[in-house]
Amino acid sequence: MAENNNIIEMQNVGIRYDQGPEVLSDIKLSLKKGSFHFLTGKSGAGKTSLLSMMYLAQKPSRGSMSVFGKNINFTNRDNLASLRRRIGVVFQDFRLLDHLSAFDNVALPLRVCGMDEREIRKRVTELLNWVELDAHMQDTPDTLSGGEKQRIAIARAVINRPELLLADEPTGNVDNFIATKLMKLFVELNKLGTTVVIATHSEKLINDFSYPCLHLQNRSLHIIRPNGYSMLREQNNV
Amino acid sequence: MSRPQYISRKQELPLKGDSTSIFLQVIISISVFIFAITLSGVLSINTMLYNWNQSILGSLTVQIMPINDVNKERATAQTLAHQDKAIELLQTVKGIIKVTPLSNEQLKELIQPWLGDGVNINNLPIPRIIDVKLAADAEIDFADLAQKLAQASPQASLDNHKLWLSKLIDFADGLKLIASTVLILVILITSGAIFYTTQMSLGLHRHIIEILHIMGAKDTYVAQQYGKRMAWLGFCGGLFGMLLAIPTIFFIGSLAVRIEGGIISDATLGLVDWGIIFSLPIFSMLIAMYTAYYTVKRTLQKML
Repeated sequence: MAENNNIIEMQNVGIRYDQGPEVLSDIKLSLKKGSFHFLTGKSGAGKTSLLSMMYLAQKPSRGSMSVFGKNINFTNRDNLASLRRRIGVVFQDFRLLDHLSAFDNVALPLRVCGMDEREIRKRVTELLNWVELDAHMQDTPDTLSGGEKQRIAIARAVINRPELLLADEPTGNVDNFIATKLMKLFVELNKLGTTVVIATHSEKLINDFSYPCLHLQNRSLHIIRPNGYSMLREQNNV
Repeated sequence: MSRPQYISRKQELPLKGDSTSIFLQVIISISVFIFAITLSGVLSINTMLYNWNQSILGSLTVQIMPINDVNKERATAQTLAHQDKAIELLQTVKGIIKVTPLSNEQLKELIQPWLGDGVNINNLPIPRIIDVKLAADAEIDFADLAQKLAQASPQASLDNHKLWLSKLIDFADGLKLIASTVLILVILITSGAIFYTTQMSLGLHRHIIEILHIMGAKDTYVAQQYGKRMAWLGFCGGLFGMLLAIPTIFFIGSLAVRIEGGIISDATLGLVDWGIIFSLPIFSMLIAMYTAYYTVKRTLQKML
């Protein structure tokens, strides 16, 4: 079967930019459907590169990679777009569209899919209420705080009920209360079947939620069992 | 019930604010202006050629050269005798339906612009003219007819208008070719301007397009937004260009009428021609829309 139990599968994947050295080498990864992973590693370890391959903004320089059972080297542009619709992404720098309101930013993935405007209105209003930004629906991102922008970015990533959710430091700009609430949202989504990968530096987050870690070190990927991250950090004297 | 403000949807690509919009509208206006003037020229030439063809179609002229004699009365009588012989022959030819020699009054009218009134035709060595009407399906061998006429009346010569008309048609066709080249160049220049401004705009909005792609937007989604915007710019630019061109066309037309040459004043525009000129904003809209649409599609192919 083309679409097996693995959401993402990478075999000997490497990525380099232009003629530079490989940022990631020989990555082997099988991300099971419904799994929850943290993605860790020092700054510059290649977390963003790995995530960008996962959300299909980059193709690997070598190796083979399948997303939802489709080998992306043999997938045409329209089918790549269809695969991207099944993925929700939270960027570290939010990447909100500054000329659009909070409402329009969150509605973006639904409009791209051609969803009916009434359904969009219902879903977006509900979600903005949930992230406590219903009072800011008409506001543009430049008038919002960092935390509010982050919640908009998260709402945009989950509005489409994605099968795969990729988040780069999603709780970096929010207080503990909101961070816990957002993590609970991710956990709830995971329970509903969404596969989740969260890139983070927050040891507290990793310890509070005992999920396995995908750890990037020396351009390679290591899988660390739940609660094993602290031991790794102690070994590395970090 | 008023709709909440947040429902009013904004385009993801803020193309309205692009600085290239004004530039593109000016380019399209100028292009449509030149296009309309040139097109009106081509259409006028077409009308002129049609009128010429209609006026000579199914007719020919026979000239009887005058006999030179010091005795004017005898010379006139001999010339008229030659004319009668020619008429006699022409009336026997299959396909000729009417043979009419021009009267002295009609000949006077013909030479009146050059020689004025009160001229005695019989005192002048001018040819007599026979107007011949042909049947619509007449198949006449003109070379054979000319030979027979020469035998019947050595003073007669046949003119089927084709020689002088073919030279005029060649000239008009040359003008049409030049005008058509101008039209093609105008289309290419406009398309080129749209192509480059669209590419510039794609570069300017690259970060938004990347986000749209990551959200799952297909190339057509982005291309449609560009297509719609460029269609509007193309229509507005085209409308402005056309509105400028119409009085110019009327002005050129009034100059042509003043020439009173008969040939140039045949170059008028019909209702269909005006219809074509009025449709130019639609034409510029379609060119702008499709050029932008396919430019975006082609450029985005290079992105993942």
